[in-house]
Amino acid sequence: MKYAFFPGCVLEGAAKENYIATTKVAKALGIELVEIPGWICCGASHAQDIDELTITAINARNISLAEAMGLPLLTVCNTCTLMLRKAKTQLDNGEKEKVNQILAKANIHYAGTSDITHLLWVLVGEYGLAKLKAMVRRPLTGLKVAAYYGCHLLRPPAIMNFEDYANPQSLEKLIIALGAEPIEFSAKLQCCGFHATYPAETDVVRITGQINQSAVKAGTDCIVTPCPLCQMSLDINQQEGQVVVGCSQEMPVLHLSQLIGLALGFSPADLGINMLVSGREHLLARLS
Amino acid sequence: MRQITYIIERFDGARKFTQEYSFSHQPGKTILWGLITIKDTLDPTLAFTAACRSAVCGACAIRVNGQATLACETPLDATLDRFGDTLTLAPLQNFTVIRDLVVGWEEKTRHLADDQTWLIPQDKFSVQNGCRQSAADFKKINTQAACILCGACASECSKLTANHNDFLEPFTYSKVWKFVADTRDKSAPERIKAILDKGLWKCLHCAECIAKCPKGLAPGEDIARLRRLSIQMGYTDSPGARHALAFLQDITDTGRLNEAKLSVRSIGVLGSIKKFPLALKLIRRGKLNPFYFPTKVKGHDQIKAILNALKESEQP
Repeated sequence: MKYAFFPGCVLEGAAKENYIATTKVAKALGIELVEIPGWICCGASHAQDIDELTITAINARNISLAEAMGLPLLTVCNTCTLMLRKAKTQLDNGEKEKVNQILAKANIHYAGTSDITHLLWVLVGEYGLAKLKAMVRRPLTGLKVAAYYGCHLLRPPAIMNFEDYANPQSLEKLIIALGAEPIEFSAKLQCCGFHATYPAETDVVRITGQINQSAVKAGTDCIVTPCPLCQMSLDINQQEGQVVVGCSQEMPVLHLSQLIGLALGFSPADLGINMLVSGREHLLARLS
Repeated sequence: MRQITYIIERFDGARKFTQEYSFSHQPGKTILWGLITIKDTLDPTLAFTAACRSAVCGACAIRVNGQATLACETPLDATLDRFGDTLTLAPLQNFTVIRDLVVGWEEKTRHLADDQTWLIPQDKFSVQNGCRQSAADFKKINTQAACILCGACASECSKLTANHNDFLEPFTYSKVWKFVADTRDKSAPERIKAILDKGLWKCLHCAECIAKCPKGLAPGEDIARLRRLSIQMGYTDSPGARHALAFLQDITDTGRLNEAKLSVRSIGVLGSIKKFPLALKLIRRGKLNPFYFPTKVKGHDQIKAILNALKESEQP
C-alpha cells in the first residue's frame, strides 16, 4: 500500500509528534507514505473565508501533485482532509475547467484521478482491522479510551461520506482492534472550537474544559482523536479550561497514530508522547 | 410484536423529567407518527408542535438521539436502523423550552427583525411597476430562500451552545446573506456593517448547521460568503479577519503556515503577551520553536503564477 502523504502545516509545527508517530506507525504496518514534495497549506477553512477560488486552485495543485505521483492522497488531519475533499468535490462538479485554465499558467493540470483519504479510513477500510489486530505486539488490554472524532472527518456528510456522521463507529472498532476498551462519553461528537481560538477564545477554553470533564466523568484513561487540531486544542487549552469548569483531573489526549504506535510496541518516547502538555504523567503511569 | 420505545425529555413548566413510552412498531412510518401515536393512545398531555406533515412548515423539528431533525419527514425505520429500537427525543437545543418538545421563538424572531431580514427594495422599484428580478438572479438566492425556519441549525450550532450572547442563529446569517445577494435589495453595505459586530467571525466552523439543515442550506457557507464580502469592503480589523488573512499571506509568502507569527498577526502584540505563559509551556515541551520559520516550498513559483493568473482573470 502506497500513498502520497500530505502532512499539513501543524505536523511541521505544534504537532510534530504526530509526524513522528505517523511515519513510524505507517512503516511498521507496511504502509508506504511518500511525502508530496512542495505541498501547500490547505487553507484550513480560514483562507477560504478570504478568497475561495484561490484556495480551490491551490488545493487543485496539491491534488495534482499526488496525481503526478500516481497515488491516492493521504492526510492525518480532519481539516486538511475536508479542505482537500471539498476542493475535489467542487472541481469534479463543474469547477475543473475554470481552475485548470488558471493552473495552466503554472504548467499544472488537475485531472481528478487521485482519491483523498485519511489514515483512519485507510486502516478501517482498505488495510482492514483484522490485519491491524494481527500486527499488534502489545495489546492495550485494560486501557480505557474515549473516541473523539472531531467535526471535519464527519461533516458535511455530502463531502465526508465514509461513515454515518450521526453514529460513527470506526474509531471504536479500531480501539478494540488494538486491545483497548472504547468508552462512550457525551462529548464524542462535540466541536473542540479550535478554528475560533482567536476570535472566540473564552468559548473555546470553556468547550475544552467541558469535553475533558466529560471524559473524566466517563472514567476513561485517555482521549484519542484522528485530528491534530482537536488534539492540540484539547491538550494545550486544557488547564485553563479545567479552571472554568471546575475539573481537577487532567486528561491525556493522544493522536490516533500514537495510540496505534503504543499497541505496535513503540515506547511513549518513540511516539512523542512526552510532548503532551496535559495528563502526561497520569498516562505514563497508566501505561507502565 | 416488535416494541419501539421513545424516551422523551419533558418539561411541565416547572420541572424537567424523562418519560418512557412503548408502542407497537409499524413499518413505513415517521418519527412524528410515533409522537402522534403516543398522544392519541398513551398520554394526551405530551406536547409537541407539528402542522403540515410535509417538511414545509418547519414546526416539528426536534432532537432524536442528539440530532436535530424534522419529525414529519424522518423515516422511523431508518432511524431505528441507525440507533436501535429505543430512541431519545428532546426539544431543540439553544431554544427556550415552553412545554415538552415545544420551544419558544421569541428571541429568534427578534434577531430576524433586528437584522431586517426582509427586502429593502432599490429606489427604481415602485408599487406601480413592481419589484421583479430575472430567473437567473433568483437562482443565486434560491437555496437560501428555501429556509423554513425549523430551527435545526440553531439547535446544533456549537457556537450558540457555547455562548449565545455574541452570536446569531445560523439561519439569521443565511437570511442576511440572501438579502445581501438579492439583486433587488439596496442595503448590502449596511447589512454587512451591521452583521460584523454580531459574531460574524465567531463561527467555530463545526459544519453542524450544514449537516443538519433539512432543506439543503449551508449557513456556515453563507457566513463565509458574508465574511468574504466584508473583507472586500475593507473590514479587516478583527481577530478573525486578521487570522484568516494571515493564512492567505503565508500561502503567498512561503506556501505554509508560520505558527510563530500567527498569534501576533491575529491578536496583536498585546494579546500575544497574555499568551506568553502558554507559549513558554509549548516551547518547553518542544511543540513550538520560535526560531522556526518555514522557507519557500518546492515549486513556490507555481503559487505566484496561480495568484497572478487569478488576478488577471478578475480583470474586466
